[in-house]
Amino acid sequence: MTETARQNRLALILTGIAVVLMLLLCTMPLYFFDATVYTKRSANTFVGDEKYAEALAEVEAVAEDFRAQGMEAEIKETVTERTTSKGEKTSLVVFTLEQTISKNLFSFLGASFSSAHILRILLALILIGAVTALAGTLKSFGAMQRDVPERDRRLRTVMPYAALIATLLVPAFVMANNVVFSRRLSLYNGGQLTEGKEEFFASLGRFLLGTEENAEAALSGLSFTKSGLVWLLAPCCIIVLIAGLMLRYGQIKHTLLKMLLILFVVAVCIITLYPYYVMLITAFRTNQETTDMYFLHMLPTEWKWQNLTDIIRRGVPRYLLNSVMVAGGATAISMLCGIPAAYAMARMDFKGKKAFLGFVIMSQMFSPVVLLIGIAQLMSTLHLNDSVVGLMLINAAFNQAFAIWLLRGTFVAISPEMEQAAMIDGCGTMGALTKVLLPVSAPGIVTALIFVFINAWNEYTISTVLISTASNRPITVGITQFSSFNMIEWQYLFAASLLATVPVVILFMAIEKHLTAGLTSGGVKG
Amino acid sequence: MNGIRTKHKWTPYVWLLPSIVLIAVFVVFPILIVFRLSFSEISKAGVVGGFVGLDNYKEAVNLPAFKTVMINTLWWVLSVVGISTVLGFIIAMALNQKFRGRKIARSVLVLPWATSLVIQASVWNYIIKYEYGSLNNVLLNTGVITQAVNWRSSFQIEFIWECTVGIFVTIPFVTFCVLAGLQSIDNELYEAAIVDGAGFWQKLRLITLPLVKPALTVSTVLNIIYVFNSFPIIYTMTKGAPANKTDTMITYLYMLSFYDRRKGPATALSVIGFLILCVCAGLYMRFVMRGEESA
Amino acid sequence: MKKIVSMLLTGAMVLSLAACGGNAGSTASTAAAEATTAAAEASTAAAEASTAAAEASTAEAPAGEEITLDVIICQYGPNTNEWFLGSGMNGTNFVDKFESENPGIKLNLEVVSWNDVYTVVDTRIANNNAPDILNIDVFANYATEGLLMPVSDYCPDELFNDFFPSFIEQSVIDGTVWAVPDLASARAMFYNVDMFDEVGIEVPTTWPELEDACQAIIDFYGGDVYPWGIDMTTDEGQAAFAYYTWGNGGGFVDADGNWAVNSDENVEAIEFALSLINNGYTNPNPATQTRYDLQDMFAAGKMAMLIAPNQLPTYVADKGGEINMATANIPAAEGKTSSSVGVMDRVMAFKDDSAPDQAARNEAIGKFLEFFYDPENYVGWVSMEGFLPAVNSAVEALVASDPSFEAWLDVLGGCQFYPTAMAEWDQVKQGVINAEQAALESGDIQSELDALQDALTQ
Repeated sequence: MTETARQNRLALILTGIAVVLMLLLCTMPLYFFDATVYTKRSANTFVGDEKYAEALAEVEAVAEDFRAQGMEAEIKETVTERTTSKGEKTSLVVFTLEQTISKNLFSFLGASFSSAHILRILLALILIGAVTALAGTLKSFGAMQRDVPERDRRLRTVMPYAALIATLLVPAFVMANNVVFSRRLSLYNGGQLTEGKEEFFASLGRFLLGTEENAEAALSGLSFTKSGLVWLLAPCCIIVLIAGLMLRYGQIKHTLLKMLLILFVVAVCIITLYPYYVMLITAFRTNQETTDMYFLHMLPTEWKWQNLTDIIRRGVPRYLLNSVMVAGGATAISMLCGIPAAYAMARMDFKGKKAFLGFVIMSQMFSPVVLLIGIAQLMSTLHLNDSVVGLMLINAAFNQAFAIWLLRGTFVAISPEMEQAAMIDGCGTMGALTKVLLPVSAPGIVTALIFVFINAWNEYTISTVLISTASNRPITVGITQFSSFNMIEWQYLFAASLLATVPVVILFMAIEKHLTAGLTSGGVKG
Repeated sequence: MNGIRTKHKWTPYVWLLPSIVLIAVFVVFPILIVFRLSFSEISKAGVVGGFVGLDNYKEAVNLPAFKTVMINTLWWVLSVVGISTVLGFIIAMALNQKFRGRKIARSVLVLPWATSLVIQASVWNYIIKYEYGSLNNVLLNTGVITQAVNWRSSFQIEFIWECTVGIFVTIPFVTFCVLAGLQSIDNELYEAAIVDGAGFWQKLRLITLPLVKPALTVSTVLNIIYVFNSFPIIYTMTKGAPANKTDTMITYLYMLSFYDRRKGPATALSVIGFLILCVCAGLYMRFVMRGEESA
Repeated sequence: MKKIVSMLLTGAMVLSLAACGGNAGSTASTAAAEATTAAAEASTAAAEASTAAAEASTAEAPAGEEITLDVIICQYGPNTNEWFLGSGMNGTNFVDKFESENPGIKLNLEVVSWNDVYTVVDTRIANNNAPDILNIDVFANYATEGLLMPVSDYCPDELFNDFFPSFIEQSVIDGTVWAVPDLASARAMFYNVDMFDEVGIEVPTTWPELEDACQAIIDFYGGDVYPWGIDMTTDEGQAAFAYYTWGNGGGFVDADGNWAVNSDENVEAIEFALSLINNGYTNPNPATQTRYDLQDMFAAGKMAMLIAPNQLPTYVADKGGEINMATANIPAAEGKTSSSVGVMDRVMAFKDDSAPDQAARNEAIGKFLEFFYDPENYVGWVSMEGFLPAVNSAVEALVASDPSFEAWLDVLGGCQFYPTAMAEWDQVKQGVINAEQAALESGDIQSELDALQDALTQ
C-alpha cells in the first residue's frame, strides 16, 4: 500500500467517524425548554382576599383550557409581601403555569424557523461532502496527488469547502437558536415586533407542542437551556475539514494556515469596519431611532437621507472646506520648512546637528492641549487668532518633528551621487534638491504629507479656543453644535463625522501604495 | 558622511532656518509661556499674577488624585503602546503575505487612523451604551448573547474600554511602520534560512525581528509621546469619572484647569509631564544617534 | 505613470492651497518676523508686549465710529446656532437683525458648546481678551476678580426693572448686581402614570415612600424597568447633590451663608441616594449616564420616575415616546419640606479698559440687552428650546402660546438656586461631583465631604 493510499484511507476513516459522531449527537436531547405558558401578576393582593380569588380563578380557567388539549399545566404561585415605611403591608401575587419539554437535534430537522434551516444545511453539507469525497476517491484511491484525474479532483474539492462552511455554521446554529427562542420571542411578547408574529408562533407551536392552536399564549413565557454538548458539532466538522484537505491536497498544514490567515484578516477587517457601520446606520436614522432601547433593527427602518441635507444646511460644507484649507495649508507649510531642514540634516555636515534634532524632538513633548494659554497668547500677539492661517501655522509647527524625521530618513536612504553629478554639471544645491532628489524621494514626501494632513485634519482643542467666528471653524469644532445642553443629535453628529472621514479616506486610498514605500526608507534608516 | 560640500560654513543653518523659526515661534514660545505660568499665581478666571516660586508644584504633587492619575497614566501608556505594538506587528505579518484582496484589507486597516479621535471616541461611546448601544444591538440580534450586557459596569471596565479604543486607533500606525520594515527584507534571506532548516519561530527571531527593529523602535517612541499626550478619548468617554479614577495626566490637568479652575497646579503638572517625556526623549535620541553611526 | 500623476496632484494641491492663503501668507511672514523679535526678548516682556499690542489695535479705531462687541453664547439646544447665526429666526438670524436695527454696532457672536465654553472663556481672559458680553452659568469668579462691570453701568432702567426680582437677587455680591438672568429652567419629579396605575402605587412624597414605590416597581416588573433615575456625572452631578440635600434641610451653605457641604443633613441625604443605587432602584451607571441617557430611558418606558427639567415632555415627544407622564414635587426626607430646584444662566459684560469710548460701549451693550429681551425676539428664543423666561414682559406671550408655562412659572417662583454668587462655587460644584463619584466606589461620603469642606475653609 502506498503512502498516498494510507493517507486516503485514514482520511476516509476519519470522515466516517466524524459523520457517525454527528448523527449520534443529533439523537441526544440537547435543548430543554421551560414553557411558562401563562403569567398573571396581581398587585396589592393578599392570599385569600377577593382579588386573589379573582386572579386564581382566571389562572385556573386557563389551566383547564390547556388540560382540555391534553397538555400538562402546573400552577405555581409566588407571593412577595413587604411592609412599607408606614407599616402598611403590601403583597404581590404572581401565578404561573409551567411545563418542561426536551428536544434533540433530529426534531429540529422538521421545524421551519431559521435555526432549523441552518442545521439542515449544516448536516447536508457534511453528508454531501462525505459522499463526494468517497466518490472522488474510490477510482483513484492509490494515485499520487498529481496523477488524480480531473473529475476526481473536482469531486474531492467539495468536502473541505463544505466542511469549512459547516464549521462556521455551528456557532451560527447556536446563535440562531438564541435569536428564535429568546430574542424574537421577547420582542413579540413585549409588542415591539409584530411582523411575522403569527407565522412565528405557529412554527414554534408545531415544534414544541405539536399544535399551532393557542401557541402564542402557551409559549409567551418560554425559557430554554442548552447542553454544552451541542458544541461538539464543531470539532466533528473540523475533523471532516482536515480529512478533506488530506484527500484533496495531500497535505494540510499549508492550506490550513492560509485559511486561518484569511479568517484572521477578515476578522480584523470586520472589527475595524464595525464603528463605521455604526456611524453609517446611525447617520441615516431618525432622531427617535438613534436611542432605540429595544435594539430592534440592525439597519434603519427608513433611510433618512434628509439628515444629509440638514447638516449641509447647518454649515457642514463650510466647515469641511475650512478643514481642507487648514490641513492642506499646514501640510504645505510643513513641507516647505521641513524639506530644506531635512535635506541639510541628511546631506550637510555642521555643528549642532544633534542639538537641532533634540530641539525638534523636544517640540513634540508638549501636547497642544497643555499649551492652550500660551498658544492663544501668541496668536493674539500675532493677530492670528480666529484665522484659518493661524491654524495652518500652528498645525504645521506641531508636525515639524515628524516631517523632518521622516524626510531625513528618506533622503539618507538615497545615494547622494546623482546630486553630486548634477552639481558638477552646474546645478546649485537648490537645483540638485528640486530637480534630482525630490522626484526620486516622492514616496517619502507623500508619506510625510499624509501624516501631517491627517494630524492637522483631526486637530480639535486649539481650534476650539482660537476660532470664534463660526464660518472659520474646522469640521472637528463644527460638529460640536450637534451636542447641545438639551439634546445630543446622534444622527447629525455621525452624518457629519462620516462626511469628515470621506475626504481623508479617499486621499489615503489614492496614496496607500506610496505610503508603505515611503516608510521603508524613512523607518528603517530612522 | 557622504554628503555634499557647502560653500560657506553657515549655509546649512540657512537651510534649517525656516523650520527653526516655525518651531521657535509656534511651539517654543508657548512652551516658555507655560513655564513662566507654572511659577506664577493664576486666578480662577485665568488672570495671571506674580511670581510664586515652587508653590504650584507643591500643590500639584500634593493633589489627592495625583497618585491615581500617575498610575493610570502609566497603565494607559504601557497598555496602549504595548498591546498595539504587538497586535500591529501580527497584523503587519499577516498583511505581508500574498493573498487575494490584500490591497482592500490594507485600505480598510488604515481607516481608524484617518478618523479624528473625537469622532472615534464618540462612536465607541455610543457603541457601548448599555441601554441603546450598538454592540448590544448587534450581539442580541445575532444571538451571540441573550441578555443585554452592561458593558461599562465599573470604572475599571470603563478604563479598559478607553485603552481598547486607544489601541484600536494606534494599531494602523504601528502596522504600517512594521509593514514597511517587512517589505524591505530581502526574500533571499528567508530562502537561505529555509534551506538551513529554520522553522517559523527561528525565522521570526533571527531574521524578521532584527530587521524590523529600527522601524519598531521609531514607531514605539513616537507612540509613547502621542499616547501620553492623547486627550480626546478619555475626555469624550468618561471625563475621568468617577472621581478622576479614569483620568490620565493630560485629561486630569485639563479638568483641573478648566473645571476645578485650579490653573496653577495644572500648569505645574504639565511641566512635570514634559520632564517625564524628556526622559523618553533621551532614550529616543540614543536610538536615533546609534542608527546614525551605523548608517 | 501613476506615480507621476499622484505627484502632480499633490503639487497642484499644495499650489492651490498656497494660492488660497496667498495674501494671508504674506501677513503670516511679517507676523512671523514680529514674533521672532518678540521671542528674542524675555518671555515676560513678550507677554507685556502682547497686551500692549492688543491695546494698540483697539485704540486705533476712531471714537464715535463703529463699535464691535464680542459675544459668547452657549449652545442650549439644536436650534441655538441657527437662531443666532443661521436662519432660524424667521428666515434671518439674531446677528443680522440686530445689526440692521442698530447701525454702528457690529456683533462678533460665537456660539460655543457647554463642553468647551469654560476653556474658551478662561483662555481668553488669560490673554486679556475677554469677550464683551458672555452668556454662561457662573459669574462670581469674574466679579470678585474685578473683571465684570456692574449691571447698573450698562443696563437701561426699564429693562432692569423687568427682570424677576428673585432672579436678580441671585446675581448680587456685596450689594452690587453683576449679571442679569437670561433664562431658567425648573426641575421637578416626572413619573410614568400608566406604570404607577399598573403597579398600584401612589406618588411618593417622602424618601421612605420613594423606597416603597421603587421596591414595588422592581417586584412588579422584575427588573425590566428602572424605578428611579440618578445622574451623578461630571456634567451635572451637582444637581443630584442639590436634589437630595435640599430635601433633607441641608445644602451647599448653612443658614449664615457659609459653606457647609459636610453637614450631617448632607451626609445623610447622599447616603440615602447611594442606598437607592445600591438597592438596585436606579439606572446602573450613575457616574457616566447623563441626563440624556435618563431621559431616553424614560421616553422608552424603561424608567418610572426621574427628576428632570421642564423640557422633558418636549424631549420625550421628539424621541417618539408616548408616555403618559405627570409631575410632582421632588420627594423629601420625612418631616422636611420639598424644594423645587431652579437652574438659571446669566448674561454679563466684561470690563475693557482699552475701549476708547466707555460710554458708547456701555450704551452698545445696553442696546444688545434691550434687543435680546425685546419680547418680539426673546419669546421666540426662550420657547424654542423650552426654557422659562427671566423677564415679566415675556410671561404673557409665553403663557398664551403654551398654558403649561403658567404652572412652571409658579414652580419657578418657589425654586432654590445654586449659590452661584459665592466665589468658590466652581470648586464646590466640582468637589461635590467628585465626592459623590468617589463615594459610589467607596461608600464613604462623610470623609469625602469632610475633605472638601476642609479645603474650602482653609
